[in-house]
Amino acid sequence: MGLRRRMQAAGWRQRLLLVTGLAVIVGMVAFWLTSRFLFGGVDETWQRIQETGVWRVGMDPSFPPFDLLDGEGRPTGYDVDLAQAIADRWGVRVQIVAIGFDGLTDALLAGKIDSVISALPYNPRLTQDLSYSRSYFEAGIRLATAEGSPIRAVDDLTGKRLAVEWGSNGDAEARRLQRADPTIRRLTFPSPQDAAAAVTAGEADGVLVDGVTLRQMQGKGAALVAVGPALESNPYVIALPVDAYTVRGEIDAILAEFVTTGFLAELENRWFSESTQP
Amino acid sequence: MGRIEANPTVSRLLMGLALLIVLGAVYYAARSVLAAVPLGPQQTVTTINPKMGVHTRLTDEAEEWKIKRSLEMVREMGAPWIVEYFPWAYYEPEPGRFGWNHPDTVIAHATRQGLTVVARLGFAPEWARPAGTIPLYLDEEHYVDFGRFAAAFAARYRGQVDYIILWNEPNLSQEWGYRPVDPESYTQLLRVVYPMVKEANPDVQVLAGALAPTLAPAGSEWGMNDLIYLQRMYDAGAAAYFDVLAIHAYGWSFDADDAPDPEVVNFRRAELLRDVMVRNGDGDKQAIITESGWNDHPRWTRAVSPGRRIANTIRAYEIAADWPWLDAIAMWAFRYPWDAKNYQDDYTFVGVDFEPKPIYWEVQAYARGAGDSP
Repeated sequence: MGLRRRMQAAGWRQRLLLVTGLAVIVGMVAFWLTSRFLFGGVDETWQRIQETGVWRVGMDPSFPPFDLLDGEGRPTGYDVDLAQAIADRWGVRVQIVAIGFDGLTDALLAGKIDSVISALPYNPRLTQDLSYSRSYFEAGIRLATAEGSPIRAVDDLTGKRLAVEWGSNGDAEARRLQRADPTIRRLTFPSPQDAAAAVTAGEADGVLVDGVTLRQMQGKGAALVAVGPALESNPYVIALPVDAYTVRGEIDAILAEFVTTGFLAELENRWFSESTQP
Repeated sequence: MGRIEANPTVSRLLMGLALLIVLGAVYYAARSVLAAVPLGPQQTVTTINPKMGVHTRLTDEAEEWKIKRSLEMVREMGAPWIVEYFPWAYYEPEPGRFGWNHPDTVIAHATRQGLTVVARLGFAPEWARPAGTIPLYLDEEHYVDFGRFAAAFAARYRGQVDYIILWNEPNLSQEWGYRPVDPESYTQLLRVVYPMVKEANPDVQVLAGALAPTLAPAGSEWGMNDLIYLQRMYDAGAAAYFDVLAIHAYGWSFDADDAPDPEVVNFRRAELLRDVMVRNGDGDKQAIITESGWNDHPRWTRAVSPGRRIANTIRAYEIAADWPWLDAIAMWAFRYPWDAKNYQDDYTFVGVDFEPKPIYWEVQAYARGAGDSP
């Protein structure tokens, strides 16, 4: 074999070795990635909850009726009942950790708590660091009318009077609708309650208000009916560590079941009724 | 001497390379031309109150059309003043190597919209501070480096930027690099940087202070009462090293007309800072409120209702118009590049998508001499 042929053969051997080495590395990485998803890996949050029998839930108890303190200073509200119901399904104890609203996410990232349940809006910007459950309450802007109103959707507002709290997100939506349909008359009021009262008094045809305030007013007896989906969605979700995929799967399944069984509707009725509102 | 024969393969390679370089240059030039956002015609601001302003947040806004649209909307709202942050670390990543592209863009569009720019400077680059410190940390050894940057900025934008704020809220530990606050050291910063800036651009007005309104008790690890801090600045000789006092005047949950009280953080606390100036023989100097405003977040304890936010904001503009010692007032904050998804979002006038909030329309109506309160 000539020198040139020997050099060619040596080159091919080197290339073969290189390709084989690369293939092994790629295969190992692919196996690690797929096994992580296919076989579950270890959800340390779930493991910790199961081992200790305690689920640490962060909450800012200053947003009734979702999160508040009772007469003896104990956390109570919609979110506390929701957390308790989930924990009951797991057979663990809920430990509510009171934290200021702006510190909840940091506490979760720092591992001080396992989850946040605190009327927390979904934040797409944090999904690299956190994971979120499915929504359990829609707090976005809703159109509400008096019972028996012919208005079935925002498309029916042509020529109608739309009540809003001056400066609110509902006001912003009303201005947007007005730009598309200048026949809509926007009526401004100092508070959402005043705006809603204008509807029930027949002085306005509809009101734009956030989902929480609407349910509160309905709970206090306002004869208002929500029409159509939220104009601007603002779903409340449960926040979890980004790698808590087992916990998230469990919570999503339980929340789906709570929708089917009517438990979430029951929670709404419980916490937005007149007797439980401040 | 023998002839050098051209290797045909090498020649073809060189020609191909040359063609690639030419094509790359054409592509780059075409992309730059197509991507450039025209400044448009020179504009002026129409308003009944020439002291109206907003603090913009264009620092992290990379897209030029968004910078232009923000500034157009400020003009259309009727505010002739903006305060904008120009972080030192962004523009001088290595000592003496400046990159002015972003501030060039912001300032060109702002001046074309007829806006007066107040430039806030701060945020130390890594090379100007010890390892492990944050960009809000600046020790005395590097005041002269900050001075060089501020002077370069002042010289570059001479005729376009007439107001420069040196540092921000130095009476808060966090803004002082998580060290105990030090009014004497901040005064030393002014003593070093002020003459450098004035030498580079004698027309520029240097603003100092920008103190956070706080009732922090004596010895607090978090900060120092702004009234006390300002007095200590004067005691340390600061008066000779600034031209205008920058004031932060937030309303929190109080109305704009509420009387000033040393034990309360409200809008008219600005008058107490003015009193400190006068007491120290600095009454001939003007002030600018470089941050102010109210917040209408439904869950923040210092927020007010949306209607009260609008009413107080407009009232603050009216009050400012009547203060002869005040040149301008900038509300925090016009628009963020992205949602913070916390109470900070409820300070803004315009959404991330440029959708105006009701406060925008109401302030615009005020600037045009109209109103729409219920």
